[in-house]
Amino acid sequence: MARRRKDKEMAANVRLMKRPEREASYLRATLKGVALTFRHMVNPHKVTMQYPEEKWALSPRWRGTHVMEQHEDGRPKCVACGLCPAICPANCIRLVPGEDDQGNRYPVVYEIDEFRCIFCGMCQEVCPVEAIHVGQHYENSEYTRDNFVYDLDRLMSQKQPSTLLWDPSDPASE
Amino acid sequence: MSSTAAKETVSCTVDGIAFEVPKGTRMIDAAARTGVDIPHYCYHPGLSAPAQCRMCLVEVEGAPKLQPACTAEVQDGNVILTASENALKAREGVLEFLLVNHPLDCPVCDQSGECKLQDYTAAEGRPMGRLAEPKRIIGVDDFGGDVLFHGDRCVMCTRCVRFMREVAQDERLAVVQRGDKAVIDTFFGEGLEGNIWADNVVDICPVGALVSKDFLHKARAWDLDRTPSICPNCTQGCNITLQVRDNQVMRLKPRPNAEVNGHWMCDFGRLNYQWVNRTGRIEAPLVREDGKLVPMSWSDTLLRLANAARGQSTGVRSVVSPYAANEDLGAVRRLADALGGGSGVFRVESGEEVVLPGFPQLALRSDRAANVRGAELLGFSRAGDSTGMGGLEEAESFDGVILVLGDDLEDASADFGQRSKLFIYVGHVLGGAARNADFVLPSTTFAEMEGSFTNVAGRVQRFWPAIQVPGMSRPAWQILGVLLSGIIDIPAPARPGDAFATLGDLSPAFGGMRFEELGAEGQPLEYSRR
Repeated sequence: MARRRKDKEMAANVRLMKRPEREASYLRATLKGVALTFRHMVNPHKVTMQYPEEKWALSPRWRGTHVMEQHEDGRPKCVACGLCPAICPANCIRLVPGEDDQGNRYPVVYEIDEFRCIFCGMCQEVCPVEAIHVGQHYENSEYTRDNFVYDLDRLMSQKQPSTLLWDPSDPASE
Repeated sequence: MSSTAAKETVSCTVDGIAFEVPKGTRMIDAAARTGVDIPHYCYHPGLSAPAQCRMCLVEVEGAPKLQPACTAEVQDGNVILTASENALKAREGVLEFLLVNHPLDCPVCDQSGECKLQDYTAAEGRPMGRLAEPKRIIGVDDFGGDVLFHGDRCVMCTRCVRFMREVAQDERLAVVQRGDKAVIDTFFGEGLEGNIWADNVVDICPVGALVSKDFLHKARAWDLDRTPSICPNCTQGCNITLQVRDNQVMRLKPRPNAEVNGHWMCDFGRLNYQWVNRTGRIEAPLVREDGKLVPMSWSDTLLRLANAARGQSTGVRSVVSPYAANEDLGAVRRLADALGGGSGVFRVESGEEVVLPGFPQLALRSDRAANVRGAELLGFSRAGDSTGMGGLEEAESFDGVILVLGDDLEDASADFGQRSKLFIYVGHVLGGAARNADFVLPSTTFAEMEGSFTNVAGRVQRFWPAIQVPGMSRPAWQILGVLLSGIIDIPAPARPGDAFATLGDLSPAFGGMRFEELGAEGQPLEYSRR
């Protein structure tokens, strides 16, 4: 008993396996790995996306930062009905309604705090005039936190396509 | 009630609930007592019921046809079904017709959120319209005054026409044309301009056809916090709700009280609320040190003021605002009594009294401030002219303690209070002669505090805080109550009810009244109850 312990210097319950030399040798596995490396050198398998030169395609349902639709003359489509601030679970929309020079109801102030936004898309779903949308967009970087409060001008100048919670060929979901 | 005068009652069943109502009760009122709201447009408790909107049709067992609940009286043994298949079908049909020409512009309509057409359509209407024809378009008409008319939204309930005919008794609106061309219109472009009760048609309009220009596009109904209050703009003391968004009063709406204002209020009171939202308020107590007013904590200010006031026995001349609560005025009176007594005055703007002919106990009273009666009962006398100016001569030349509560002192001479030993100013804004004060204590307006007003008929009515106080402002009863407890050894009032309880010592009219028992609709003064 004592002799065996001295020989092996192993923990009590480890069982040593007796294997033939050719199986116990690492040479075979090493050659296999090197062969794979050479195979990939000849026929490369690309995994890395060269961002930002190349970009992944987003799901049509991706919900990113907002877009405000506008009329041809540059007025926002929003009629300041107040449903989006009412439904917003993150309470991130600030709206002050008013009357424009044509006597229409319009948003004097319309601000979305994109930091508070949880991108649920309910503002888009509730909007009766298809004005506010969440966009297919994910690159958000700014130098200040204040810049993440998007005002009306900024929301109207967003270029990204709208999320397809909404089908453009059937705008009123009829 | 003696047995001979006991009213006859009839028994009925509304949606399975059996109960008794006085004979002659209309079905719609009987149903309301069980908590069943029968949809209705043309019926309004303050007006006659023409039964023309056909929205309140209910089924009565045994009756061959559906009955309009707004005019049909409950007969003994009636079994009324408000939501039977027939009744629902009839009402769904009525709603479909009402929506035939309705523009469905809820997103831009001011009534959205408090609109009966929205509510009933959501509850009982068809999910989709079936109309294929183009809608009739009438457009927007300016009715004059504060009222704007959107003809397309109108459901022709004629509440507005009947209000002007029956209550204002100044027929300025009428239904013109017939059939689907029928529309509410004014006569010869005269409009509603000049009638100070006209804005009530906006309140009673069940849809967004009549809207207020003042409130146009300002706030959504669901954004408003509503607090019961009392209109501060004349001695009538109309019961109102203060409707507030973002700590700003957006509009005043009448709150029904059969004893005071019925369902109505005047445009003068309704539109005169901007002063509640005024900015530039005093936000911290100011104490004069080396000739300059220095902001200080409440405890330091009141300690210094108590030290300065203690031992003054030359008397007090006070100038109070008739917009101040009973509790505030009582606190001024008690402080004046503790400092040797003295007279107090208030100044109030006054104008022509305008009675509402169809509800003559309601009028725009000539005194244009809420608590003139309370001030008179608590020993203050009227001074100055009908513009609310002048009358400060006595206080100006006084060399004792001057105490001003809430009065802006706009017209006071530049050296007002310079001759006094101690000039205490309790108010909202620091301007003019108030800058001469030794102590400036910021107090709250009626919209920021709990308290009570006494109206012209001797009714004491409570109001509740609707907006946050600016800065360190406190109710005047609290400021002066704590100050008084520092001058003479009495407990300071902790709640408005404590301050109210002391009023009985100052005027027997308030004796025996309890603040907690005033309720939402107020109580007459003790003596006028006898």
